[in-house]
Amino acid sequence: MTTHPTRTALRLLFDFVGAIEVFNLSSIDTLNPVSPQAAAITRLFLGVLVILAVIFVLVSGLVVYAIVRYRERPGSSMPRQLAGSRKLEFLWTAVPIGLLATVFVFTAKTMRAANPKKGTRPADLLVVGHQWWWEVKYLKSGVITANEIHLPVGKAVLIQLEAADVIHDFWVPQLGRKIDAIPGHTNYLWLRADRPGVYSGICAEFCGTEHAWMRFEVVVQSPEEFTAWEQAQLKIPQPPSEPEALAGMKLFNELTCVNCHRLAGTRANQTAGPDLTHLAQRRMLAGGAAVNNPQTLAEWLKDPDRIKPGSNMPNFHLSDAQVRALVAYLETTK
Amino acid sequence: MYSKAKLAMALFIASEASFFALLIVAYVFYHGQPQNGPNAADSLDIPTTTFYSLCLFSSSATLWLSERNLRRGQYDRVIAWLVATIGLGAIFLYGQGREYLRLFHNDVTISRNLFGTTFFTLTGFHGLHVLVGLCALAVVAGLVLRGLVRERQAEAVEAVGMYWHFVDAVWVVIFGIVYLGSLV
Amino acid sequence: MKGHEFTEGIAGLVGERERVGWFSHEGLLGWVASVDHKQVGLMYIVAAFVFFGLGGIEALLMRIQLAVPNNHFLSPETFNALFTMHGTTMIFFVAMPLLTGFTVYLVPLMIGARDVAFPRLNAMSFWLTLFAGLMLYFSFFAGGAPSAGWFSYTPLSEAAFSLRSGQDYWILSLIVAGIGTVAGAINIIVTVVTLRAEGMTMKRLPLFVWMNFVNAFLMLFALPVLNAALVMLLIDRQLHAHFFTPASGGSALLWQHYFWAFGHPEVYIVILPAFGMISEIIPVFSRKPIFGYEFVAASTVAIAFLSFTVWAHHMFAVGLGHIANLFFAVASMSIAVPTGVKIFNWTATMYGGQLRFTTAMKFAVAFIVMFTIGGLSGVSFAVVPIDWQLTDTYYLVAHMHYVLFGGTVLASFAGIYYWFPKFSGRLLSERLGSWHFWLTFVGLNLTFFIQHILGMMGMPRRVFTYPALPYWAAFNMLSTIGAFVLLIAMLVFLYNVVMSLRYGETAGDNPWDAWTLEWATTSPPPVENFVRIPPIHGRRPLWDLAHPELADELGKVDA
Repeated sequence: MTTHPTRTALRLLFDFVGAIEVFNLSSIDTLNPVSPQAAAITRLFLGVLVILAVIFVLVSGLVVYAIVRYRERPGSSMPRQLAGSRKLEFLWTAVPIGLLATVFVFTAKTMRAANPKKGTRPADLLVVGHQWWWEVKYLKSGVITANEIHLPVGKAVLIQLEAADVIHDFWVPQLGRKIDAIPGHTNYLWLRADRPGVYSGICAEFCGTEHAWMRFEVVVQSPEEFTAWEQAQLKIPQPPSEPEALAGMKLFNELTCVNCHRLAGTRANQTAGPDLTHLAQRRMLAGGAAVNNPQTLAEWLKDPDRIKPGSNMPNFHLSDAQVRALVAYLETTK
Repeated sequence: MYSKAKLAMALFIASEASFFALLIVAYVFYHGQPQNGPNAADSLDIPTTTFYSLCLFSSSATLWLSERNLRRGQYDRVIAWLVATIGLGAIFLYGQGREYLRLFHNDVTISRNLFGTTFFTLTGFHGLHVLVGLCALAVVAGLVLRGLVRERQAEAVEAVGMYWHFVDAVWVVIFGIVYLGSLV
Repeated sequence: MKGHEFTEGIAGLVGERERVGWFSHEGLLGWVASVDHKQVGLMYIVAAFVFFGLGGIEALLMRIQLAVPNNHFLSPETFNALFTMHGTTMIFFVAMPLLTGFTVYLVPLMIGARDVAFPRLNAMSFWLTLFAGLMLYFSFFAGGAPSAGWFSYTPLSEAAFSLRSGQDYWILSLIVAGIGTVAGAINIIVTVVTLRAEGMTMKRLPLFVWMNFVNAFLMLFALPVLNAALVMLLIDRQLHAHFFTPASGGSALLWQHYFWAFGHPEVYIVILPAFGMISEIIPVFSRKPIFGYEFVAASTVAIAFLSFTVWAHHMFAVGLGHIANLFFAVASMSIAVPTGVKIFNWTATMYGGQLRFTTAMKFAVAFIVMFTIGGLSGVSFAVVPIDWQLTDTYYLVAHMHYVLFGGTVLASFAGIYYWFPKFSGRLLSERLGSWHFWLTFVGLNLTFFIQHILGMMGMPRRVFTYPALPYWAAFNMLSTIGAFVLLIAMLVFLYNVVMSLRYGETAGDNPWDAWTLEWATTSPPPVENFVRIPPIHGRRPLWDLAHPELADELGKVDA
């Protein structure tokens, strides 16, 4: 989170030089689709970009030509007072209409490909947007997690999208369209990834203080890996044996953690905050604000505002020993 | 040559119509949705409101008579019809006030549910416009009484008249949608 | 109205400041008490530039925060308040009053009138706008600025999620400004309809007047839509009603429909007067009449009608039905056609002309190219699937700034350089103007072009910070550098204005050899504008006087 300014500046410089030298399209998520839906949009986007670029070159070419050719020169005579041309007006009305009609045909075609109909089958996954994290529920297996969605490669998954408080927006650029999560209004979205990997997801609708750190990740795995992950998630953690972790478990139950969070096998069963059952397995913390490891988890518990200012996680002013105990406990609930 | 005052009033009315259209859309939108608590059908007193509505509608006629006499220069009648118009408008407002009190008594309020929210907002803004109209008419009556308005200033009076007719017309729509609409 | 009618009664006798009570004050009181359309217009413009400074500082603070990833320069709440204030300020208290200032100053002059139809109402519109702006900024001292965005989507802007009273100040401020705008729109329409000089038929109106006339109708119908929505939000917040609160049965989306039913016409409200300025400036510096006058005017009317049918293209991501999406895609694409007609006509005006690259002309020509970029990226948002990917990203931020900065701001600078001599009697420095222009041009493209790429990389808008993903830091830094180039450009402009007001070259009545009626009077014009109005037999009265052998024949169209 915190780096020395000189180092930041140096890295930026390198970044910038690097950007000029090796910048390639692979950094542009929307041009690197890994799902058929996103691929359809990318094809359309590139096609439209070409048309727009041609129009831009045409217009700016005409302007630049006029600037050079018709610049006032000493001794030039009075220009002809031409007031218009019906033929030209017709031309530059009709040609754009034709072009836009063509674009519209491809738009209409791509809309279905990019956003397949929901159909009649029940959703596989319930995703609920909260200020500022994502609740994820696998409706068949019952797995509950947060800010991280695991998918088996190549399988189409139907997501049911809701919101608990304000409007959010679910967007994984490499997997296709974004769609709003709206309180009181359910949306559905097909998600399918054709290549294993980790794809970043974003809340794309302004949703309050910590909108920036409402990121999530989609982890696409082979079917075997996915099943293994699902099985591991279903396991109910056993009370720890190690004394520090045990102390942490006691703290977890005594403090108000249980009023907001859920942790399978304990009395914590709330959804005001993210599920903590297998927290230690997750890649990121606090909606992407930090990489998840025992050290950042300790920093988070010590002072949440340092990592994600304004988040709903209160600062309990825990002692270092208490933090160590809680971290030890949460690390055992893998 | 157009009359500046009447043109300006016509434009103002167009913009007001756009404002009321949105309040009406909100009412109709939520009216079509299932909801808990009171609704138009079980809360509104249609017969009584019909009577008060007729008062408001007939005030448009009395105002028209007043305007006609202004062009003829018969100022006594102008004032008489203006007073009748103001009286009818005031009766309407009194009726609306009674309706509100009865609803409050039955715990139908703006914060109760969406019927309350949309009903009070829509009819409340209309009532506010009636009140403004009454003030404008009273000013006109005062000016006529003191002899400050004569035929050639009829335009300004007609502009106020246009506003009053508009306020009436809005009530025709509201009465139709909110009151009569609850019957179907 | 008494004072004004009195002045109307004494035709021909003009230029004596003390004659009428309204104009009798000198100094600051002379401005505050003024109902003269020129003074009101200038007050609009000056107020708009003060707010432009505030909105600009807000933008710079945001760009500093975004210069590096994971930055802690600003807290998220501060950042959110800044972009809310930046958007609200720039739209309602910069773009609208700036353009309105030009409108109320120039429309009466261009049609040969002494003032607007209702001078006192005109002054009231200005003071409502100014006080609305002050009320918005007062929120900083009254519990914190609003932070739900200039669009204030519900339920985020409802009492449950936006506790600060800043949100209420925001609502009240926009209601007050909206009332002022509607009053101003009525004034302009009545002025154009009733106060045109003899011979100034609708077919001879300068295009600037045409666009503002059409624009007034847009304001007349769009602003009440916003005000109705704002009133409902205020009732929700203050009286615990339920219009937009899903938790008690309200609809989160109804607000969006309402807001954009206003919001899209609003986009044209802040660009049509700019189109009007371009349509005056390019012909004058090309020494030719505008190409396709009727088509430029008619396309404005077409844009105005279409602008009320496209609102839901701001809502493609909410999951409307398939048919609704298709309808709004068609409507949004079709609005590109009349806009394109304008671009082509401006370009064609330059062909065969004798282009004089004054600073005003430089800004006007740059406007064509920059606005084309914004217009074209706008078309990509009408293509629904592209919108699904790129809406609410920096690609949209880039698009919108090419339209508003590359469009409205560049056109306004063209207008300032062009009409400043009329406003003040002195010319702005062309040398400093050239610096101002090139710095603006470079800064604008440096700041905003790269944002297209950032959006395509997946950077959402309205985030106070971002993770250090590949190239995000470098591109954001580039954009921040561009913002500071723009700052320098604006300082050069400010210096130019201050110096030119004191030492600028005297302008004379008609420094550009232009042909609309505002140039037929002194610079600045006297209280009632004209001593004598030249005969109007065509669209270019002063041209006809100067070049009787080349006088316009109405509707002359050549192949």
